[in-house]
Amino acid sequence: MKKLAIATVALVAAATGIARADSVLVLNSDEASYSVLSRSSRTEIARHPVGREPHHLIVTPDGKEVLIGSTVTNELLGLDIKTGERRRIVKDIIDPYHLGFSPDGKWFVTAAYRLDHVDIFHADGFRLAGRIFIDGLPSHMAFDKDSKTVFVTLQQSGRLAAFDLQTQALKWSMPVGNAPAGVIMLPDDKRLLVALTGEDGIVIVDPRSGALQGNLQTGKGAHNFWPKGDGRHYFLSNRVEGTVVLLDTEQMKVVASVRIPGGPDCMDITLDGKELWVTQRFLRRVAVIDIEQMKMVASIPVGKSPHGVFMLRPGPTAGQGPLRAVSTSGETR
Amino acid sequence: MRDLIDIWVGTQTWIFETLVSPLMFHFGLMAWYEPGYNAVEYVMLGVIQILVIAVGMRFFERRWPLERPSGDDRLVGVDRVYTLLNKLGIVPLAIFVVTYPIVTHIELQIRTWGYAPPSLERLLPWLGDSALASFLVYFALYDFAAYWLHRAQHAFPWWWALHSLHHSQRRMTVWTDDRNHVVDDLLITLALVLFAQVVGVQPGDYVIILMVGRLIESWSHANVDVSFGRLGSRLLVGPRFHRLHHALSNPQERHIQDHNFAPVFPIWDILFGTAIYDDRNRPTGVDDPTVDADNGRGWLAQQATVFWRFARALVPRFRRATAL
Repeated sequence: MKKLAIATVALVAAATGIARADSVLVLNSDEASYSVLSRSSRTEIARHPVGREPHHLIVTPDGKEVLIGSTVTNELLGLDIKTGERRRIVKDIIDPYHLGFSPDGKWFVTAAYRLDHVDIFHADGFRLAGRIFIDGLPSHMAFDKDSKTVFVTLQQSGRLAAFDLQTQALKWSMPVGNAPAGVIMLPDDKRLLVALTGEDGIVIVDPRSGALQGNLQTGKGAHNFWPKGDGRHYFLSNRVEGTVVLLDTEQMKVVASVRIPGGPDCMDITLDGKELWVTQRFLRRVAVIDIEQMKMVASIPVGKSPHGVFMLRPGPTAGQGPLRAVSTSGETR
Repeated sequence: MRDLIDIWVGTQTWIFETLVSPLMFHFGLMAWYEPGYNAVEYVMLGVIQILVIAVGMRFFERRWPLERPSGDDRLVGVDRVYTLLNKLGIVPLAIFVVTYPIVTHIELQIRTWGYAPPSLERLLPWLGDSALASFLVYFALYDFAAYWLHRAQHAFPWWWALHSLHHSQRRMTVWTDDRNHVVDDLLITLALVLFAQVVGVQPGDYVIILMVGRLIESWSHANVDVSFGRLGSRLLVGPRFHRLHHALSNPQERHIQDHNFAPVFPIWDILFGTAIYDDRNRPTGVDDPTVDADNGRGWLAQQATVFWRFARALVPRFRRATAL
């Protein structure tokens, strides 16, 4: 009977191409497709084509759409945040590997990983304000609270660079360690955390100068962050170690860990805050972690090299105002 | 199907996480993390191909041989070396190291101009609903490019100097397909990778196209008296069709090797007037003593002498020096 229900849901979703708030999107970066999963039944219910090599996604400042960056076809695919329905394609966004909106929603930034540049757009109409060519594989990004600066990790050159959003000028570029990837700004706006994929942990960086303030061992191949939602705890995937750990950023220590095989990468939390979904790049699966127990409770098959993951939602939450920018490095939720 | 995928990627992940990933991490090669994982799959596919050739295809060669055993059987040994070096990723890794900066430079230049590869699924939406149809379309496009590259290998004297090594084998078998000079392999790889990027072949599809294509090509070199039938031999290149392309030229058929170029789909030869279908059994090889001398040499000696042949064909000064 359960199988019949799942099949019915799958049939309807596949036929209409529309998902719903129970759905989860997963970008299959090596297959030019995205999977739509049912969160409740934990199955893939549809798979839709998208450009080429989709890696990350981002919610628009008005909270109505989620944009998928298609790196090889230089475009963004906009989906309705509630239904997953296709809304639009934004052309001429070159190599949009990682994406982010500034917290005030005025700036849209892309890190062109293959093409070595950072593009800063006026978010309104995606008008290019400035393109900064910079060596070293621009990888992930974070913003400061007042939307003046964007921080971008340079995975190959081992640096973190800060750009002024208004002038699109480089403010500073500092060495932080081997293969920096995920970066987040903590709520105090005074500490950046940078995950070092070529090492076994993270570093704490002063956002004003780029100076290193400390480090923390978390596991080999520290890669990407996702906020737990309380402003204090953050999840971190360790790709080589094959773990996801929970960081307490007040005590600056690892407080929990769970083994996730297959190169864990991007994450998202269910709207009730009970589950963390993590892409397992190598295994072509998405793991589901019970947050309270910090235990993997399911692993769902998807396409090849799943990367970005996102929970569709019933729109901006009442009483909280419009959703602020959410990126795959999870600076705000 | 999903069970098979799980077994495959589970094995690949285990090999990668146990053996390769720690080494890459130790030597600071994390920028190559994803390519490293894909390389494991390449080697796994190579092992599968070797097994299919050594067990499956060789069965047909033993059971239904076209050419009976002869003294030339000893010439096959070096072709096995070529197959192992290629299928186990040793030659491809060397080629990757050389071609990667070139391919990257060209790709980045093209993309900086704003070029984005076309998405066939957007032009033909039904392709997006069928992974098999999409795969076959990209496979056909890839084979079309390979057909013209193969013609170029025969048309340019300097390229023929390299490619003639492949044709020099008098004892053609399932092992002959990989018998190529590394510079020849490098040029073909470079051209096909760039073509695949311009057309927009998915990285995942590219690996499968490469594997299926090379298996069919190994089979087309087989020493077997087996036919796909009148229709089948027009859909897929088989041993009889490709053996004609390797035929030794004779006074009546001076340009016999300028036919049946297609690697996988004979449609290209039919469309462009280079197809010949007949059931005559011809000896294989090259009617040129300097090329025929490749037979009997080992891998290294073949690579060295053929490179010199290539250099002489490429640089007129070397030709004059040799003539003196």
